[in-house]
Amino acid sequence: MNRDRFHPDHPFLYADFFPTVWCAGCGIGTVVHSFIEALKASDITPRETGVVSGMGCSRKISECLKLPSFSVSDGRVVDFSVQYGLEHPTHQVVAFLNNADFLLTGAEDFLQLRNSGHRLTIIYINNFIFNTAGDDGFPMTPYRRKSFDGSADLPFNIPLLASSVGAEYIARWTPLRAGWIKNALMEAFQKKGTAVIEIISPCLVYDSESRRILDAAERMQFYDGRTVIQNFSPLNKLDLREGKKIVLGTFVDSAPGEDKR
Amino acid sequence: MTIRIEILKERCKGCGICIAVCQMEVLRLSGDTNEQGYAYPVVEKNESCLICGLCEMVCPDFAIWVRQEEEEAMP
Repeated sequence: MNRDRFHPDHPFLYADFFPTVWCAGCGIGTVVHSFIEALKASDITPRETGVVSGMGCSRKISECLKLPSFSVSDGRVVDFSVQYGLEHPTHQVVAFLNNADFLLTGAEDFLQLRNSGHRLTIIYINNFIFNTAGDDGFPMTPYRRKSFDGSADLPFNIPLLASSVGAEYIARWTPLRAGWIKNALMEAFQKKGTAVIEIISPCLVYDSESRRILDAAERMQFYDGRTVIQNFSPLNKLDLREGKKIVLGTFVDSAPGEDKR
Repeated sequence: MTIRIEILKERCKGCGICIAVCQMEVLRLSGDTNEQGYAYPVVEKNESCLICGLCEMVCPDFAIWVRQEEEEAMP
């Protein structure tokens, strides 16, 4: 293999990780690619970063990156990121969270961020899936749709929750809009406080809309056809429910020192 | 000036997102499969590529990238 056949992101990745463990059409790989592109475009030294991830499919993110990266135990992702950021104040800490890390076991750590203003970028990969075996819902299970079998509650409004915790930058995108994820990450790296970016990513294994398994590209376009971009729309209108379009965009972008709570 | 679309076929999982996002229909799915049994994309119309980089950006497996090369001057 000659030198020309290396991917431009080759210095950031372990070569023996490929082919990746994620399913064909999963959004996580695109998020990782956008993160590396944002890291290259902004003036951050790769040594001065910290990538933290929890459990499940998103655990593999910290295993594939040639950066200071940590796979921590379930639910301690935000806690560990805050401690790492306190220990290394110049480092840019990025936490990749999945549903369980964010809203179940790690929820109290996220709520502890209130008023503390730690410099931390949270990428929340939301695929509406929590339970792979049973029939109980969880806070992000869509209304009358099922992670496997049944939730009668409305899912959480993540941008409103992040705003009440005091995030300085809140955005929501789908993986097909990878350039926007890159731009959002570059803006989030500039912030002195917490930034929360929610990625609505398809999960091919557990199909939450219907029981049909579409192929990967159709699945991405399925999500993308049900979204609409409305920047700075009111935060209380952003919940996900049936028959309503998913609103994407940047919702909160506050200047340093400005209090938008 | 030539456009080179590089595809690492051993990394590809055949999801077809690069083919779906390409507006100029440069790529198509090959009839062949790689070692793992996935059909990978091949370049069909290299000359109509606009170097937008969308296929590189959305690829979850870091398998495709586009680069532009200056041609060597003819002697």
